[in-house]
Amino acid sequence: MGEAMASAGNADQLPYPPRTTEFTAPFWSAVADGRLTTTRCTRCEFLTFPPKVLCPQCWSRDVEYVVLSGRGRLATFTEVCVPPAVFRDEAPYVIGIVDLEENVRLLTRIRAPFDELTVGLPVHMVVRHSQPVALYEFAPSPDTENVCEEKNA
Amino acid sequence: MREPLASVVGVGASTVGRHTDELEHEIMIPVLLDAVADAGVSKSDLDSFVLSSPRPYIEQKYFATFLAAYLDLPVEDILLETHGNGMSGALAFDIAVDRIASGHAKVAVALGVSKETHISTGEHLQWSMRMVGDVDFHTPFGMTSISWYAMNATAYMHEYGVGRRELAEVAVKNRRHAAANPIAQFRELITVDDVLDSRPIVRPLHLLDVPPRSDGAAAVIVVAPELADKFRGDPVHVLSRGHYHEGIHQISTRPRSLTSFPAAARAASKAYEAAGIAPADIDVAEVYAPCSIVEVILSESLGFFPEGGGVKAALEGRTTSQGDKAMCTSGGCTSRGHPPMATPLYNVVEAVEQLRAESGERQVPGAEFALTSAELGDYNSTLIHVFGRGETL
Repeated sequence: MGEAMASAGNADQLPYPPRTTEFTAPFWSAVADGRLTTTRCTRCEFLTFPPKVLCPQCWSRDVEYVVLSGRGRLATFTEVCVPPAVFRDEAPYVIGIVDLEENVRLLTRIRAPFDELTVGLPVHMVVRHSQPVALYEFAPSPDTENVCEEKNA
Repeated sequence: MREPLASVVGVGASTVGRHTDELEHEIMIPVLLDAVADAGVSKSDLDSFVLSSPRPYIEQKYFATFLAAYLDLPVEDILLETHGNGMSGALAFDIAVDRIASGHAKVAVALGVSKETHISTGEHLQWSMRMVGDVDFHTPFGMTSISWYAMNATAYMHEYGVGRRELAEVAVKNRRHAAANPIAQFRELITVDDVLDSRPIVRPLHLLDVPPRSDGAAAVIVVAPELADKFRGDPVHVLSRGHYHEGIHQISTRPRSLTSFPAAARAASKAYEAAGIAPADIDVAEVYAPCSIVEVILSESLGFFPEGGGVKAALEGRTTSQGDKAMCTSGGCTSRGHPPMATPLYNVVEAVEQLRAESGERQVPGAEFALTSAELGDYNSTLIHVFGRGETL
């Protein structure tokens, strides 16, 4: 009991966790395994992010989960110095918009100091092993070779 | 020039700043009475009552009905509250105009009040983060309403080689405007160095690049154009409106430019066409620009300056009250202040006063056409209104 409590106390609790449903559970469990996924339309093949219960392009309900590369470029970024109250303990922190190789765009946390970032920087997904779900964050990719090695490892 | 949709004959606005010792209706009602007096209408003339829905942290809920009862005001045509985050006040104005244009009413009032300063910034952001992002896929990362504009700024500065110093000139210019506006929240002049040295909020934006927290209320009386002269000799006509929501909430699924506002461009072009004018005809634009960077991007997306030319135009003084494209002559969100639920109505008040030539030291000489804007998200949705002086018709 004491050990379980200590363990819960040490866990990285997300200040504002996303909700998990039967539909989104595959996405969040894949993140914990180090894979970024999303849904693609099985009719028109439109890829969207985040996963959606329909294809936003043709409104078909026939969508499937696919694995994304988790690699992309930093489109823009900011350092949040004045955060919402629940994020007070994490501030300041950097968030950014990443354009993935698959030509989809997402918002994420960037694990690097604001002053070391530039628009267009190659970035890759890193897992934040948080509770109640793991979160997908991104970090600068030192160079292309290293990213490939990491992926092959 | 086409027939106007409606005419504004009365405006009222409270000082912007702290009204912590007053209740929401105690701020709102004097402003409504000012607008009614300004218009020369009487209580029994009011057909439609359209209120910008207040923040959830205003104590009195269903405020429109509460107000009507407090005012002992029977309403024939319609009484409703509009809800659209920062666009709420513009939606209230838009509906008031439409009740007139559609022939349902002869006299309508659009009004709104924001009480913000009794809530801490952290608490406010914790609530607004659920409105300005996807709560499952954006909010968990800790973004805030103005973090989206900060990311526009990073992209703009990179794309056009602009520095914080150049952007700061916009905040300095708006403070000069506010210094001449008796209702503005901040009237003490500032320098570029003051902006650069202020504390970071969402980098690269610092305190003086972003809006303050503000309380305030504004009201606008709109009437059928054929009645305008009966109430006031110098009505300001609502020539047109343009709206566009691009079906995007903060960021697009596909990568695209982060340095332009396509919805603003589209809404504005519809409004220009409906009014039978061109962007070059606009003398004064009182836009919804919470941060300096937003005003710069808007000055391009509204067609005033070429893409990437907004900062240069600002540095040349073209957006001051004496420039050819005056912007935010009230002082804008950063210096007049930003009571969000009323801000679009404050913008209408400024546009009307400019066209009536009542703006004193910040008067745009010979202003004939004015434009107001309001938005949702990262300007993913835009509502534009174009105004003209009576004699321009």
